[in-house]
Amino acid sequence: MDLTVSGARAFPATRGSSRGLPAASTVLGGTVLSLVGLTWDVQWHTDVGPDTFFTLPHLFLYAGSAVSGLASLVVVLLTTAAQRRGKPIDPIVGGKAVGVFGRTFAAPVGYLVSGVGAAMFLLYGLWDQWWHGLYGFDAVIASPPHIGLLLSVTVTIVGSAMVFAAARERRWGMIGVFGTLGVLLAFSTVTALGLQPVDAGIVDAVTVGMTFFAVLLVMMAAGFLKRPGGAVAVAVILAAVQGLFWWFSPWAARAYAGLVDLPVRDYAAGIPVMPALMPMCLIVVAALLEPLLRAGSTRSAGRISLLAGGISGLLIAACQPLQRAWVYSAPVPAASTIIATGVAGAVFGVLAGFLGWRFGGMLRLLTPAEDNR
Amino acid sequence: MNIRRTVLAFLGTVGLLLATAWPANAYEPVNIVHTEHVQAGPYSLTVGFSTWPIRAQQSLDFTFIPEGGIEGKSGTLTMTSPAGARQVRPQPLARHPRKRDVWGLDIKSLQAPGDWTFRFKLNGPAGSGAGELKNLQVLEQPGPPMGLSWAISTVPLFALIGIAVVAWRRTRGRLVPA
Repeated sequence: MDLTVSGARAFPATRGSSRGLPAASTVLGGTVLSLVGLTWDVQWHTDVGPDTFFTLPHLFLYAGSAVSGLASLVVVLLTTAAQRRGKPIDPIVGGKAVGVFGRTFAAPVGYLVSGVGAAMFLLYGLWDQWWHGLYGFDAVIASPPHIGLLLSVTVTIVGSAMVFAAARERRWGMIGVFGTLGVLLAFSTVTALGLQPVDAGIVDAVTVGMTFFAVLLVMMAAGFLKRPGGAVAVAVILAAVQGLFWWFSPWAARAYAGLVDLPVRDYAAGIPVMPALMPMCLIVVAALLEPLLRAGSTRSAGRISLLAGGISGLLIAACQPLQRAWVYSAPVPAASTIIATGVAGAVFGVLAGFLGWRFGGMLRLLTPAEDNR
Repeated sequence: MNIRRTVLAFLGTVGLLLATAWPANAYEPVNIVHTEHVQAGPYSLTVGFSTWPIRAQQSLDFTFIPEGGIEGKSGTLTMTSPAGARQVRPQPLARHPRKRDVWGLDIKSLQAPGDWTFRFKLNGPAGSGAGELKNLQVLEQPGPPMGLSWAISTVPLFALIGIAVVAWRRTRGRLVPA
């Protein structure tokens, strides 16, 4: 990958313009389709069951990546064509253009990442087909192709965040970053189920993984905004997604079962599976984070992010087993499990806090400087 | 020219995906190819398998049919893995989603190879009873080693880490130090 593109000319500043918004919205819209398909699919297998390739939830999952991937491809091709004609390339649209395959293509870096994620999704989709041919259609999340698919969508969502971050100076760019981080946080609660095969003794590895993602993303939002409100904004978006899916997931599974004339499983409780994975305490944790992050000077913010991450990790990881027991009316896990998982959450939270704050700052730097436009 | 080639390659990939996926577009009937017998107190129970022998991680349909049918009867199933350490909690015997006149598990896989135990507790007009299907042998998993499969599946994660490392190095001097 060549990180410079010759022939790119400075683009005149157009601060009020919505240039780049349609493509960015399409990429984000694709990831939302994938998110809807994911919660629907998880609920379908829990409440109804039988699987084939062509189910409606799968269509949403695949269409989501196709939409994001095609939008990314179109932007890359248009950027390449503009560069070849010597026309100016606006870095507001997906960030600085980089050369791909030598200088065959000029790809805005955000769209390059989102497009690569969508392309990987296709490849993992083929692998998943082969896998199901060999192992059957057991509906488990934690199979290698499924985790490959989920991680590919994660790459696309990260690309989407980069695309919107490049337009940070626009209102839609700022809103888009927080929306995208909310989508990524919701999505990652299922991706963390890939840690199910990890036997960590009394520590719940899945909860620790989910906690890591949650702390990473709220700290990223805080580091990106650099003023109060970033962490809470992402937590509120997650709560909104959780509330909406709490209603949607069981309803959609049952409506689709009726449509294809399949019965709901005996003893299906109809508890919204994916929304139940999302940490309900996140708004409170994010609200505690905000003043903590503002307590020090700008120079000490990085060090404070370690403390903030650790506290957040402890709270989220310790609350999650209680949330699960409450939602499923199950016995509360042993105190040793809660404490051990909380401590592991705190350790990984420190790392996530440090990385998240830094990644937020890096995301800010995707915004092109005035003199580059 | 390159752009046209890229679009053709993309369309070809989509076509290949759809073509290979098409045969999967059907809900398979439940075909039992092997049965075992379990006596649970007064109840005679036939356990059916849609694949035989069973291999680890390869999913199949199970059916559990008490003599005289399931009407007026209920029960639980506990599946114990060869290690025994991760004993699954008892689950109620539910009707098979694609064969509603019997109890069963649809497209279920047993994760570990070795000897599994299925323990049944049944209740019905004749009272309650318990019985076990012991030494249910599960062979080694087919396909590539799981380590290799997990390595392939985590390529996007390492791609993300790679992007983060490159971005970190390029922005190091422009961020406030931690």
